[in-house]
Amino acid sequence: MPLIIKDEYPETLFREDGKRLDGRDLNELRPIKMEVGIVPNADGSAYLEWGNNKIYAAVYGPREVHPHHLSKPDKGILRVFYRMATFSVFDRKRPAPGRREKEISMIVADCIEPLLFLELYPGTSFEVFIEVMDADGGTRCASTTVAALALADAGVPMKSLVSSVAVGKIDGKKVVDLSGIEDKAGDADLPIAITWYNEEISLLQFDGDMNLDEMNEFLDLAKDALKEIHQIQLNTLKSKYIKLQEETLKQKDNKKGEK
Amino acid sequence: MENNEEEPIDDEFEDFEDEEDSREVVVPGEVLTEDVTNFLPGRGTILNKERNKIISLNIGLKQIKKNYINVIPLRGFYTPRPGDKVIALVVDKNPVKYKCDINAKDFGQLKPKNTIKKGKTRGFRGAGPMREDLNTERFDIGDILIVKVLSADRLNKPELTTVGKYLGKRTGGIIITIDPPKIPRVIGRNGSMIKMLKNLTQCNIFVTQNGRIWLKGEDIAHERLLIESIHKIASEAHTVGLTDRMQEYIINEKKKRGIE
Repeated sequence: MPLIIKDEYPETLFREDGKRLDGRDLNELRPIKMEVGIVPNADGSAYLEWGNNKIYAAVYGPREVHPHHLSKPDKGILRVFYRMATFSVFDRKRPAPGRREKEISMIVADCIEPLLFLELYPGTSFEVFIEVMDADGGTRCASTTVAALALADAGVPMKSLVSSVAVGKIDGKKVVDLSGIEDKAGDADLPIAITWYNEEISLLQFDGDMNLDEMNEFLDLAKDALKEIHQIQLNTLKSKYIKLQEETLKQKDNKKGEK
Repeated sequence: MENNEEEPIDDEFEDFEDEEDSREVVVPGEVLTEDVTNFLPGRGTILNKERNKIISLNIGLKQIKKNYINVIPLRGFYTPRPGDKVIALVVDKNPVKYKCDINAKDFGQLKPKNTIKKGKTRGFRGAGPMREDLNTERFDIGDILIVKVLSADRLNKPELTTVGKYLGKRTGGIIITIDPPKIPRVIGRNGSMIKMLKNLTQCNIFVTQNGRIWLKGEDIAHERLLIESIHKIASEAHTVGLTDRMQEYIINEKKKRGIE
């Protein structure tokens, strides 16, 4: 007889002091940590820790398409494989890709595709593998963010990066970056991704209920958070190289001082 | 034949210049300049939709040459171009062609007619190569070849040839692979880096554009030092004054390891 544990949500999603259950303000992001170049055998890779989410992404390509009938003669294709580890959620996740995995793979690919110059690589594919090691709400946003980072690290020419965040309504209040429990027990949930090339919305999904005026307020709220995430992405990509540059400059200065 | 080979130095490798102002790291989507009247988008850049900003496409170093703004990539893959000399690995063969791995998105094709010199003719009138020569028994699967790219575009598989100076099968030596965008740095401006490496380690080096480097030295100690140096160059490709620093590094390491 399998043990069945029912999901139990707290009555209120706010603490007595007005902060959220994990101690955040309404428009505060969870702590984000990013790294690039951590999978040595991949062409490009990135790792993201976003609150309790832990996600790896690896990019391979351009390379031959298998199965071959998927290849297009006039342009390359971008394939995204979003997978969750069996231990990433509370109940064991069945390893076979289901409806949800296919959907998230598709939306991540559609989100990034307009930024790439796929027409330069006909008959080939770029493949992005996203492995969710630990999931706690907002993995589709985190996956989009980390996939863009891995593609940039691989040296694939792209017009800009993509950043993504979820905004939503919990207990009637507008909040940024919903965690797992807020996602399930909240009223509305709105994942947004933006391409920085011309600041277009590249992903917009919606679940819950809100009216049209609220929607505009949510978009404004998301934009500030997205800018913050974009800045972290830029710093992550650059810091690897800038660190070395500064070190060598220091050595040079020291030598000059000795002489 | 293998020894005493000189590395051909291409003039087009002038990408990495030791200028202080060209060391700014940029990432995709970063605005390089908003002054579009004085500057034009060069390599690795694009104008935005409103045509009022120049935007970077790659992670790389910003470089201003005359009125062009370029981005020299730090990461990327090899795209074959006609005339490139590359190191190829024979991965498959059939009676009409060899299939070669050249570290690009497509396998290169090497046809038997491109492995024979054209001057070799049958009879005094010259009627093309002997029929018996037009088979694929010259090379085996697993052979390392230095080949030249005859034709390459984004649609068709690149065609290769082994006829020419420095080209052909290699036996012996070591092959290492680095990121293809960092190859110009291993060569240095006018071949300064590679000359220094050759003089200090007494190794033969053949650097090719697809990121593979063939090297052979007198003993394993020198070869090992050279391999470590090349990897160091690749990881510090974006820093200033690399040639001088590498020279110092190799001399110090030689003292440490006790090789003259």
